[in-house]
Amino acid sequence: MPSVMVWLLRYLSNLEGRNLMAKRQLTIALAGNANVGKSVIFNQLTGLNQIVGNWPGKTVERAEGTLYFKGYKIRIIDLPGIYSLSTFSMEEIVSRDYIAVQKPDIIINVVDASALERNLYFTLQLLELEAPIIVDLNQVDFAAKKGLRIDVKKLSEALGVPVVPTVAVTGSGIDEMLSTVIAVSGEEEKLKPLKVRYGKEIEEKVEALKKLVSDNLSQLCTVYPARWIAVKLLERDTDVSGKLKNYKRGKEVLKNAEKLAVELEKIHGEASPVVMASERYGLANKIAKEVTVVEASPRISLEQKLDAVTTHKVLGYPILVAIVASMFALIFIGGNFLIAGLEFLFENLLFHVEEVLSSFLPEIAVSLINDGILAGVVAGITIALPYIVPFYIILALLEDSGYLPRAAFLMDNLMHKIGLHGKAFIPLMLGYGCSVPACIGCRIMETERERFLTGFVVVLIPCAARTVIILGLVGRFVGLHAALALYVFDLVLVFALGRIAFKALPGEPVGLIMEMPPYKKPSIKNILMKTWIRTKDFIYMALPIIVAGSVVIEALYLLGFMNYVVEAASPLMSGWLGLPPEAGIPLVFGILRKELTLILLSELVPLESLTAIQMIVFSLVTMIYIPCIATIAACIREFGWRRALAITVIDIALAFFIGGLAYQLLPLVMTT
Amino acid sequence: MRGRKKRSYKQGNPRNMENVVSLTSLRDGEIGVVAYTVGGFGLVRRLAEMGLTPGVEVKVLRKGPFRGPFEFEVRGVALALGYGVASKVFVKPGRT
Ligand SMILES: Nc1nc2c(ncn2[C@@H]2O[C@H](COP(=O)(O)OP(=O)(O)OP(=O)(O)O)[C@@H](O)[C@H]2O)c(=O)[nH]1
Ligand SMILES: [Mg+2]
Repeated sequence: MPSVMVWLLRYLSNLEGRNLMAKRQLTIALAGNANVGKSVIFNQLTGLNQIVGNWPGKTVERAEGTLYFKGYKIRIIDLPGIYSLSTFSMEEIVSRDYIAVQKPDIIINVVDASALERNLYFTLQLLELEAPIIVDLNQVDFAAKKGLRIDVKKLSEALGVPVVPTVAVTGSGIDEMLSTVIAVSGEEEKLKPLKVRYGKEIEEKVEALKKLVSDNLSQLCTVYPARWIAVKLLERDTDVSGKLKNYKRGKEVLKNAEKLAVELEKIHGEASPVVMASERYGLANKIAKEVTVVEASPRISLEQKLDAVTTHKVLGYPILVAIVASMFALIFIGGNFLIAGLEFLFENLLFHVEEVLSSFLPEIAVSLINDGILAGVVAGITIALPYIVPFYIILALLEDSGYLPRAAFLMDNLMHKIGLHGKAFIPLMLGYGCSVPACIGCRIMETERERFLTGFVVVLIPCAARTVIILGLVGRFVGLHAALALYVFDLVLVFALGRIAFKALPGEPVGLIMEMPPYKKPSIKNILMKTWIRTKDFIYMALPIIVAGSVVIEALYLLGFMNYVVEAASPLMSGWLGLPPEAGIPLVFGILRKELTLILLSELVPLESLTAIQMIVFSLVTMIYIPCIATIAACIREFGWRRALAITVIDIALAFFIGGLAYQLLPLVMTT
Repeated sequence: MRGRKKRSYKQGNPRNMENVVSLTSLRDGEIGVVAYTVGGFGLVRRLAEMGLTPGVEVKVLRKGPFRGPFEFEVRGVALALGYGVASKVFVKPGRT
């Protein structure tokens, strides 16, 4: 367990650092292409839990953590993956702004050793920006698996900056990297960064522009290097040319830049950014070739075979359906098994507790404690956790294996029908876990319209909490087939609504452009860690709410308020939905946490007494009726309160409409 | 922006213009050399940044069904493009 040792040592030095008062403060940022391992490194350094997985575009916001190392207090920033310093999607703007404007002391450019050429393209841009970088050559283990070895010394010489090989997942090389950071910051190790130069006819134009820029825009040159501004202007970067508006001679510079760009395009016959990208890639290719040693010719690995089958144009689809269906079946089987065991355990326990309590407490207190607090805890543990834990394990497997981008590839066509593209399927799949990260994950979509459209359908995907209700009520008492039918119905609904929303918000969808990361064997340690973190969140966040909800209900009951509430809700609940009138109460509390609906329902009416149709109607309504409070908050943050409100109102109306319809129609198709 | 969008770079460099087909007409496993890409300014730039610059070799790994997306290898990385995007990339079939 070397990684445990590394961790322990770092932990101890952290303590020591805190005690000694940091000698110096440093801010370092992790930057690089998507899916190279930045967040794994960030987590290693800070002990925090940034989302990690095997698909591009997980980190969408910058994250911060602190580390004490060798008497230094180091602020570490994790940035979204980025392919270039010109901006394309929202998360890339976050990264570029941070790197260019905030100017961290040192940038750790994380580079995927198994795809060096593409990664170096970004490195070259950092060098052009004259940013102080060191290169973290990550995933050297994976490169070795592909038969590639990188000559670290040569690469370091070619780039003129330190290069440290690492394997982030095991923590190997991380300490060396930190030491290098310190050495560079203390100027014990000088950087002699490579100067990126272009072909002759481009250089002439860059130099001419650079002179104009430094003569006329001296203010801007204190923020960005003059040469970099010149290159960006030649590339027609709208963001940089926008900055020139505030300058007296800005227009003149811009006019000259445009003239030079047109000249360049005449010579090359391509758009100026393409010309520049070609040149940079030429250099990246040259360096990559020089430093890469091909040790073994790549053979067809198991992962590649898996890749071919799971993205196959025919086989891929039944496999996708089978994966999703068996996911729920497994959760169901595992969950029921756990429920049976836990219920037996707790029933005896509760009985004894009640006996002990009533010996010295008044009856009303015993009810509150027993039927309120304890029943809530027990219900949370026996009803929700058994389904949630297996769910988290399977979700983590899907995330870490690299299946999600394959599913996105398969679904690209269908997603175009609702005005989106394949990438939108990733937040959709994440939605089965929890709607909150799924809403935030919508940022991988490129335009605001697409982000909103994706968010609109994502909240309709039954999250783990809703799965507790679907499996715990319909699955357990009606049958797994009925529960699966509900999932299928939900997907149909999602596509129908997506289609309508697309018609209401028309626009040309941007096409799919996505890197397909190779399959990787998920590490058991990671899976368990992720599951534990999410379960811990559930215990800390959801259980208190569940217990509080239970206590409030018990108090209402004891105070005799229940009858009023039930009576008021009766026309809607019984008349329209055909549910027992008490069912209105769980639905109100369900806004806090969706698990609450089932838990409170079970405390109000014996679940066995419900008819199959009632169970299905209740599940349908909970599945659709309103995003929980946390999701509404995420929607407000991501899409604005107007749109969040629209989503909420539409979902409530839809849920009751569909619920009532189901109550009328289901008896026709079901013979119970 | 509008005006710039209209400018497509189809006319391209004459030496890149012969025997050029759209990437979508390559079959699984076939190789081509990128000649040029067409489309709006943002798209053309993005594709170049992802490594699809003139002269680079691409190999089709697989196609999705019914005008589905394309997966191909470029600069040692597997890249997926929707059908619409892939049809804007023009290649010369065969090796460099
Ligand atoms: N084999 C191997 N896998 C690694 C290594 N470092 C990271 N990974 C895996 O690579 C994947 C991506 O890691 P992340 O840290 O999430 O990548 P990121 O750069 O933060 O990605 P974005 O946030 O999407 O930009 C995960 O599946 C990791 O387990 C490594 O050194 N070796
Ligand atoms: Mg990340």
